[in-house]
Amino acid sequence: MKKIVKLFTASLVCLVLNQTIAKASSHREAPLISNDPIADNTDLYAFRSPQDTNKVVLIANYIPFELPQGGPNWYTFGENIRYEIHVDNNTATTGDDIIYRFTFTKVIQDSTTFFNIRLGKQNLKTTYTLERSINGGSSYTAIVTNGIVPPPNIGPRSIENATVGLGAASYDALMTSSIATATTGERVYAGPADDPFFVDLGGAFDVGGFRTTGRDGVAKFNCHSLAIEVPIATLQKTGKTAAQATSILDSDFIIGVYASASRPAVTTFDSTGGKPTTSGNWIQVSRLGMPLTNEVVIPIGSKDKWNATLPANDLQFASFFKNPELGLYMDDSQFGGAVPGLADLRIQSRSLGSFDFRNGKKGLFGLKGTAALDGTALSEANFGSILLPDSVSPRAVDLLPIFYTGVPNLRPYQLATGKPDGNPLAAGKPFINNFLPTLGDYLRLNMAVPVTPRNSPDFSSLGIVRAAVLGLTDARFTASGTALQFIPNMDGFPNGRRLEDDVTTIELQAVSGVALAAIGLWYDDYTVGSPSGPVTAQLGKVLGFNAGVTQNDTTFKAGFPFVQAPWRSFTGAGYVGPKAGDLLPVSFLEFTAGITGDKVALNWKVTNEVNNDHYDIESSTGAVFTKIGSVKATAGGGVKNYSFVDVSPATGTTTFYRIKQVDADGRFSYSPLRSVKFEVKTSITVTPNPASNFVRVYAADNNVTVNLFDGSGKRLASKALTNGSVEFNISNYSKGTYYVVAEKNGVRLESKKIVKQ
Amino acid sequence: MSKKFIHFNGWKLLLAVPLLMFAFTAKASSHREAPLISNDPLADNTDVYAFRSPDDTSTVTLIANYIPFQLPEGGPNWYSFGQNIRYEIHIKNKTTTTGDDITYRFLFTQVIEDSTTFFNIRLGKQNLRTRYTLQKSTDGGSTFVTVVTNGIVPPPNIGPRSIENATVGLGTTYDALMTNAIATATTGEKVFCGPVDDPFFVDLAGAFDVGNFRPEGNSTNPTKDGLARFNVHTIAIKVPISMLQKDSKTTAQATSILDSDFIIGVWASASRQQIKTLNTDGSTAYSGNWVQVSRLGMPLTNEAVIAVGAKDKWNTVRSNSAGEGQFFPYFKNPELALYMDDSQFGGAVPSMNALRIQKHALNAFDFRNGKKGLFGLKGNAALDGTALSEANFGSILLPDSVSPRAVDLLPIFFTGVPNLRPYQLATGKPANSPLAAGKPFINNFLPTFGDMLRLNMAVPVTPRNSPDFSSLGIVRAAVLGLTDARFTASGTALQFIPNMDGFPNGRRLEDDVTTIELQAVSGIALAAIGLWYDDYDPNATTPNPVTPNLVNVISFTAGPTKNDTTFKAAFPYVQSPWRGNDYTAKPRF
Repeated sequence: MKKIVKLFTASLVCLVLNQTIAKASSHREAPLISNDPIADNTDLYAFRSPQDTNKVVLIANYIPFELPQGGPNWYTFGENIRYEIHVDNNTATTGDDIIYRFTFTKVIQDSTTFFNIRLGKQNLKTTYTLERSINGGSSYTAIVTNGIVPPPNIGPRSIENATVGLGAASYDALMTSSIATATTGERVYAGPADDPFFVDLGGAFDVGGFRTTGRDGVAKFNCHSLAIEVPIATLQKTGKTAAQATSILDSDFIIGVYASASRPAVTTFDSTGGKPTTSGNWIQVSRLGMPLTNEVVIPIGSKDKWNATLPANDLQFASFFKNPELGLYMDDSQFGGAVPGLADLRIQSRSLGSFDFRNGKKGLFGLKGTAALDGTALSEANFGSILLPDSVSPRAVDLLPIFYTGVPNLRPYQLATGKPDGNPLAAGKPFINNFLPTLGDYLRLNMAVPVTPRNSPDFSSLGIVRAAVLGLTDARFTASGTALQFIPNMDGFPNGRRLEDDVTTIELQAVSGVALAAIGLWYDDYTVGSPSGPVTAQLGKVLGFNAGVTQNDTTFKAGFPFVQAPWRSFTGAGYVGPKAGDLLPVSFLEFTAGITGDKVALNWKVTNEVNNDHYDIESSTGAVFTKIGSVKATAGGGVKNYSFVDVSPATGTTTFYRIKQVDADGRFSYSPLRSVKFEVKTSITVTPNPASNFVRVYAADNNVTVNLFDGSGKRLASKALTNGSVEFNISNYSKGTYYVVAEKNGVRLESKKIVKQ
Repeated sequence: MSKKFIHFNGWKLLLAVPLLMFAFTAKASSHREAPLISNDPLADNTDVYAFRSPDDTSTVTLIANYIPFQLPEGGPNWYSFGQNIRYEIHIKNKTTTTGDDITYRFLFTQVIEDSTTFFNIRLGKQNLRTRYTLQKSTDGGSTFVTVVTNGIVPPPNIGPRSIENATVGLGTTYDALMTNAIATATTGEKVFCGPVDDPFFVDLAGAFDVGNFRPEGNSTNPTKDGLARFNVHTIAIKVPISMLQKDSKTTAQATSILDSDFIIGVWASASRQQIKTLNTDGSTAYSGNWVQVSRLGMPLTNEAVIAVGAKDKWNTVRSNSAGEGQFFPYFKNPELALYMDDSQFGGAVPSMNALRIQKHALNAFDFRNGKKGLFGLKGNAALDGTALSEANFGSILLPDSVSPRAVDLLPIFFTGVPNLRPYQLATGKPANSPLAAGKPFINNFLPTFGDMLRLNMAVPVTPRNSPDFSSLGIVRAAVLGLTDARFTASGTALQFIPNMDGFPNGRRLEDDVTTIELQAVSGIALAAIGLWYDDYDPNATTPNPVTPNLVNVISFTAGPTKNDTTFKAAFPYVQSPWRGNDYTAKPRF
């Protein structure tokens, strides 16, 4: 870091503006890490806590695209991985000034089940140790031991149910109780959370097919968050609080943050399914400071290398910022015409009539060495060698410093407000200072900048872009000219990054030159001196552009850890299946199904009808139940009787009936099952009846056997039908009641009473 | 498959003898099913299918899927097959050989065509463009012959700009890309490797919330397909039956539709080299022996049968190897059965109320975990001539008095089901006589003691447009064989009953294996052969086996009963991958 500072010569020097680059943060952003999800760092946030402005919240997210329903082995932090958040607050020191290192351990509490949570036990239960180094990583002190990672938010049975699950009061209660306080005072949360990022992946990566109404590709996915709430005095290089800042842009309050994941160099798989063994040096496999750098700035040929590189060695990638690939798609002389989704974004090709910032063009290089630059960041005495390196690196003046040094409160990097028309190099209204010239990709935050309340009407997800617009156009801020004022959203990206910030839109606007415009390098359609002013149609298009999704798919918590609870896998009421042999449900006092001729009569008696709407009658002959009718509930309380007749029951098989009681609100319950078996609809006829000597029984089916019983149930005779009938001689029987019973294949079909006279 | 297994525990030889029936176990196929593989998506084998091709019945199609939960818009680095991984499909067709009879091994390479962009496809160039070599071994893996070189893996289905647009994209259609990617091996097989819709379907959210199932059509809480709109990478091979049959016979030469000589066992795997080294320049190197990191034969085995403590180990054991024995306890007394048993946790899992295991079938037999099952019959003369006799497989099927499901679930997974008493439908059996000869309905008996998907290739194909076609596979065939006059009329005669070509006799893309396996754990297979549910009264004047309990089981579904899209009518049958740019969204949880 020291050598880097020398590159910059001066000491209090400061740089650039509010720009950046492009598209889906860092979810599966490089080939190798895309296949190692548990080490994949997806996003990094750093902001002053809106709840406790004496503190800064750092959030590093890992493991992209976690399905809320992704069981039975839900994702969790990996063992043998070092998850780290690095903080630099001092350009005079070498390496990181503060490092937070998380390491995780998993335990199987019940190896006999395939469920993640069962009977109060949790498998893959994860705990962590947090270590902190304040000497560049030479030594670490454990500041949280046995920290709790909450389980996946599986559902009500797993989380709240006290019999089969954990019996927790709620998932929020689990989250809250897992917040640890470090021995050094930080509060810490490590666990699953809603992925706060949002982007139209389906549009963006179809060769830039951005849409006005995009679809949030990370909606309803979870990630794993490492969140730390740190007192500003702990992060400030000399232990100062924000109250001690000399101004809201005090350079001493700037920190640079990046996160990483590292693995041991050598992993050896166990051939019998044991945990792999690891050895060797720790190798960084993922890292993230500024959002989207490795997603859409670094091209695929260098992405894996980017992940393995320390920010201190980032200069090798500088060319991707000086002439960004995305710049090609906002330039009609390149592929601009082929990417209609970005049509509203066009880079200045002749700003103020002369400056061309398209890829490969001069940018401000034509001013190199001129006296006009004296006293500005662009002078050779300051950073001319970096910002104006040659005639083919136009974005070295805006994009490169945004990512690699931060933006100083120094000419020309002040708003055009207060500058003479057509003179961007003049002093203007300050709007940012997060200059920490370490020449590496960091998320840089000036902790002295006040917090914009989240419920303020001025709050905007466009961060510094919105602050610039207000500073250029709103009378509350233009009235005082070049005076330093707090403009809402000066605490937004790229001055740190709030959870709400729409970094995709901001970075695309930045690539199209919005930051250049903010400092007075207006778009091509502005002519100096034009009475209509610099807020031209083209500027309006850029400011009106968005990348398709402008906010997260859920809210944020009002307090630490601010990220929202992870999406719950199972929501809603649990289905309760039918249980054979159950006692009648309370509401069903009785339910019968009986044959009446060739029909089936269903009768049921109920009580406790509350909110009841109707009954559906369902039948089945072996598989799926289908509705065969409906009966409206009658008004009034008490015991009530209902009936329904199935006029065409199935024959030759067993039919099952059940009554579905449906409440007015759609909830329902089932009666027990009743079954009826019809043989072929054989109806017998007995004649004469009453009779004296003979009775003849007729049926349509010759396979029927007819039995004759007396009144006590004693069988007197049994005969098969011949040619459709059979005759019984009853002349010797005494007077009284007798029964003929027809059977087929041992199944009773029908019985008739006869009277002997 | 070693020969020593053929003598395992008294299973003499397999020649004529057959075993079992159609039961098994439980729940979300094999997507991220074990702790270790869940963090290695590229090598994660999610499903295996094997079925006679419905449009070309002289062939069998084998499909092995990998890489679960691929977001259609998951760019810029869409998933593809991994380099340095051996993806393999293993086939057994003999019990007399050691190791695989046929092995297909796929090896992939990736190329970056344009290193200057972050897009996957741009200006006709494709990054991470994937190609494959297919090698085939017919000598148990001793030697391999290359049968496809430079096979094409289609790109991700990103969107119209990347695929159809001739200026910024590839200037073609996705269907054309898929069709052009179908290769013909030098040995005659048709081959497709590439991204497709994941054909599996399951309510993950319901299943894994300690069994919070939501059957399809219930109005308490609509079921959700947790895999809806996700893609997967498929390896599909269409192979002539005569190439898979051990003596090169065609089905025309089969002696019956259950000819034992036409049974194959199929499983798939992924292996990696043992040592992975990360370099400081961001590259990775691999060295050492190849170790198996994922495998799959029967669906859901490692998802819902093997407990978490053994899942990683399961993935490293080769099917049919001596190591399989350690997993038998999970099948003899499956965890899922605890949730269908009111004396265990049954009362705590209300969504499975409809599923209750026989505790006194025929007033005598208790199949709940730890109970005797049929062990009381051990050595009884009534078993003579059945698979359960000591002369046949009594030592395996009736091992002791505390392994009730050794008689149904264990053989389904590890040997297949023979066409032998008592493993025939109750149709034609005298009342209360499950051991009698009944109507045949399955024979996929290949007793190698390995978890494989076993398919009898002689069984005819049920047309997909037949009114009889059912995603309940053999369960539906059993119901038809027990109740439908077309099949009951002929008593014990062997007939083709629709869906005899369904799971677990192989596995068709449509088969609802989650429901079938849950029904099986609840004893549906036992019921089918005449070991009826508890509410059956064997002493009734006219006993009726179609009881409310049986209807409850048959009516149960685990959640969604079909895939969230269609299948192709022709090879590779799996559907094109969802398009990242504009697929129709559907709730997944």
